[in-house]
Amino acid sequence: MYDAVIIGGGHNGLVAAAYLARAGLKVVVLERRHVLGGAAVTEEVFPGFRFSVASYVVSLLRPEIVRELELPKHGLEILPLDGTFTPLEDDYLWRVNDHGHTLRELRRWSPSDAEAYDEYGRLMLEMAQFVKPILSMAPPDPGRFNPREWLPVARLARAFNDLPREQRAVFIQLMTMSAADFLDQWFETDPLKATMSASGIIGTFQGIRSPGTAYVLLHHYMGEIDGVLRAWGIPRGGTGAVSEAIASAARSFGAEIRTEAAVDHFLTRGDEVAGAVTSSGEEVSARVTLSSLDPQQTFVRLLPSGLLEASFLDEVGRYRYRGSSGKVNLALDGLPEFTCLPGEGDHLRGAISFSPSIDYMEQAYDDAKAGRFSRRPYIDMVIPTLVDPSMAPPGNHVMSCFVQYAPYRLADGDQWDDARRKAFGETVVDTIAERAPNIRDLILHAQVLTPKDIEERFGLSEGNIFQGELSLEQLFFNRPVPGWARYRTPLRNLWMCGSATHPGGGIMGASGRLAALQVLRSLRAKKAA
Amino acid sequence: MARERYDAVVVGGGHNGLVTAAYLAKAGLQTLVLERRARAGGLLAAEEIVPGVRAPVAADGVGGLRDDVTRDLVLSAHGFRAIEPEVVAFAPSTNGRGVTLWRDPVRTATELRAGTQPSDAEAFVAFDRRIRSLGEFLARVHTTEPPDLASPSLADATGGLTLLNGLRQLGRQQVREVLRLLPMSVADLVGEAVEGEALRGVLGARGVRYAAMGPRSAGTALNFLWDSASGGGAAGRTVFVHGGPGALAEALVAAARAYGATVRCDADVAAIRTGRGAVEGVALAGGEEIDAQIVASSADPKQTLLRLVDPAVVGPTLGWRAEHIRTPGVVAKVTLVLESLPAIGGAADERLRGRIVLAPTLDSLERAFDDSKYGRISEHPYLEATIPTLWDPSLAADGTHVLTALFQYAPRRLRDAEWDEAVRDEVGDAAVQTLEAYAPGLVQRIIARHVVTPADLEREYGLSGGHPMHGEHALDQVFAWRPLLGHARYRLAGIRGLYLCGAGAHPGGGVTGGPGRNAARAILADARRAQRRSARRRGRGGSS
Repeated sequence: MYDAVIIGGGHNGLVAAAYLARAGLKVVVLERRHVLGGAAVTEEVFPGFRFSVASYVVSLLRPEIVRELELPKHGLEILPLDGTFTPLEDDYLWRVNDHGHTLRELRRWSPSDAEAYDEYGRLMLEMAQFVKPILSMAPPDPGRFNPREWLPVARLARAFNDLPREQRAVFIQLMTMSAADFLDQWFETDPLKATMSASGIIGTFQGIRSPGTAYVLLHHYMGEIDGVLRAWGIPRGGTGAVSEAIASAARSFGAEIRTEAAVDHFLTRGDEVAGAVTSSGEEVSARVTLSSLDPQQTFVRLLPSGLLEASFLDEVGRYRYRGSSGKVNLALDGLPEFTCLPGEGDHLRGAISFSPSIDYMEQAYDDAKAGRFSRRPYIDMVIPTLVDPSMAPPGNHVMSCFVQYAPYRLADGDQWDDARRKAFGETVVDTIAERAPNIRDLILHAQVLTPKDIEERFGLSEGNIFQGELSLEQLFFNRPVPGWARYRTPLRNLWMCGSATHPGGGIMGASGRLAALQVLRSLRAKKAA
Repeated sequence: MARERYDAVVVGGGHNGLVTAAYLAKAGLQTLVLERRARAGGLLAAEEIVPGVRAPVAADGVGGLRDDVTRDLVLSAHGFRAIEPEVVAFAPSTNGRGVTLWRDPVRTATELRAGTQPSDAEAFVAFDRRIRSLGEFLARVHTTEPPDLASPSLADATGGLTLLNGLRQLGRQQVREVLRLLPMSVADLVGEAVEGEALRGVLGARGVRYAAMGPRSAGTALNFLWDSASGGGAAGRTVFVHGGPGALAEALVAAARAYGATVRCDADVAAIRTGRGAVEGVALAGGEEIDAQIVASSADPKQTLLRLVDPAVVGPTLGWRAEHIRTPGVVAKVTLVLESLPAIGGAADERLRGRIVLAPTLDSLERAFDDSKYGRISEHPYLEATIPTLWDPSLAADGTHVLTALFQYAPRRLRDAEWDEAVRDEVGDAAVQTLEAYAPGLVQRIIARHVVTPADLEREYGLSGGHPMHGEHALDQVFAWRPLLGHARYRLAGIRGLYLCGAGAHPGGGVTGGPGRNAARAILADARRAQRRSARRRGRGGSS
């Protein structure tokens, strides 16, 4: 008998486990695969070549988690990823962390953009400061008034009122506008707007002109003020190393972590969940059960039917996944040479973004809307071996390509089969080859993950990397289901702690932490009663 | 010549300007409306396309017109007569019976049950019920002055309480629901509700009408719900004016005049004069100046802030913000005079008396929108046609019919092209071609064709970007941030006496009279407050 069983050993499940164990609970984590980390995983896909198979950069790992779980002590080290390089046909746009350098580069494109960039950066930094508390806040339920739930929101409202009027207006815009429209107010350089707004569409089935995509622009500025770690970086050893560090912290607090322990269904007693039954038939009973899986997996696959009300299941069915991205991991025996900027310069050490223009991005989206993968996709490429050579044999490199759009559902009758996967991989290589023709000769091995593959391998419904779209109607108190955003579920002692809960998305760990804190509060209340 | 002096000057004689003027005059203010064109009515205008045939050039229906406006101003006494056909919308199909939305949802459901997607019958009725109850709540939102998020006052608290009360009446489940639905895309909203592609298309079109967005854009569900505040449920409302939309303009002018307001046409306001932080009056293009301590502009917010008011008074920050109010006009209007009426989608009966919506699927709407993203006119446009001569034969000679169609998308900003006659013809051709597919034989019956482009709307009606709603209706430009956060309470730019009373203010565009009425209420509230203040001062002065 455990105090808590956690289904799924992804980074959120592990964070939840660590917090519960740290509070003295007897905790066990059940992970289906042989490796920990879920989508934050490092695997040796080809002999000698280790890949961050799915998620490839650390975005906004919460500093309080790093601190409270002492992750650096458990081996976490984030290596800087400097700059974003946008290759074009015969030119490029290259922004780096060195502000002066970036301004010089922007001036080459547009003096007024260079000027606006400064002002924009300052503004976004201030906005990020204001918005940051939302990431550490359990959303209140708008359907009822519980002062304790609303207190953090009231605090935020007060902070909002303290902002200068212009910043208040900008906040509203960030929450409602499209990334492209928002940036249009400041900038005129097409590749700059396209590249900056690209972050707004990652993992969603939307285009950079779709309202609601502006908010993510802030994420790039949030990390900078955390001060503990670099915002955007590559963990030494790949993103799996983050999961390993969290697992190590959890173990140090006494948590038990089992791999190759797939859960077949929940153990239920009436309307109460009392643990889990593994596919080998073992019953793992616990006072509370936390699922880090998405709602489809949690409420439909793992639960016997008849336990949940139809209206709740309707809501679960309405929750949108719509995976829209794929991943191509390449093992290379050299570095790509871009025709617009030849040589092995520092421009290869950051993110390389295939986002030459707003039209290009929109056309990529139009393909997806028509039910096919983009003929010329947006690619966010990094070459981790340039900052962490341990990932490949000497002289060789690994390259990670996040590719959008690759819709989970293809148009009429088409399926993600081997032929489609191959065609998708070739399209990605073709797209790269247009800017770096030598890429073809460098490829030793290629791993192509379609949304279908992502679903099967990582258990992410419809291949959505965030366990459900981060669209406006699926955020905050609506995530994942209106009325059930506080990590609880309609079933007693069953909780959600994955990316499908607020704030979701990226290697943040906030969902796992907030869920664990809610569970602990509820257990304390029970004890007191 | 002695300078004229009024209590209030309303800039622009569109329907909102007239509504504001009528309310102000009714409350006893000496009110003057100044209209640049030869006739008041703005987008309600009609033009003589061929001799003897007057057709609406912009707005054709008045489904959103608020009952309280017609009641308060007793428009019926001034000749206003609404016609509400039994059919709200008909979505013809090229190879089947299409979908008809009737005023009576049960009748709609009955037909759906016999159609290709019988399960939609129940689904539609349920959806309609939900939309009606949310529509009631939104109707309250429309009449509320948006709160000042910066410094909430007692008045805000009252407004807030009204809304909270409205929310409470919705019930817990619906509060959650409305918060989920508002930021959604209309494609998702109707996709969740019903299955049939044709039904989804005709419903989804309501979310993108007049918007530079496709049905997959977040916030189009809000447009759908916003439009549902008029009470027609899922189908919306289709209401025409006897005598054409121009008759509404005439009724509003007559009402305003009956209350004592002066309506002057051919009077082009060149500037709103200000001094010491307050409005002093207006200056006309001819140099004439008129004094007033209240100026309500029904011009769009960009025109008002960037052209009419002194930039030094507006200041660089607000000026910058006003410049970035989004006004991407994408609407054209094609009007055809037909020697006789062909069957449309096989229907020749009363089904054609409402709106005829050519938006066969959500995907077709989205593709029509996609063209506009790249600065092109939709190859396969979304059309919404009405045939006013079906219910008002007096509009044209015997047997002749007028068909007037909203055309989307025709972006004001074309890529590599200007709006010239060739592009105008392109729009006309695309419309006719699309109609012909549903109404074989239409082409041969065309006597005359008239196209209003977004460039015309900009030039003729002074609409920035050719946007008929005075600014895009989108999540970033509604309610407390329409037209701009901090300026959503009809009082503009912190200039005493300056008000915005057009579609650029909450609750926004469409022939509703909503902004005009709300603005008049704000103006009168301020006037009363000023009166009380001066009475107090006089009182104190008397006692000392």
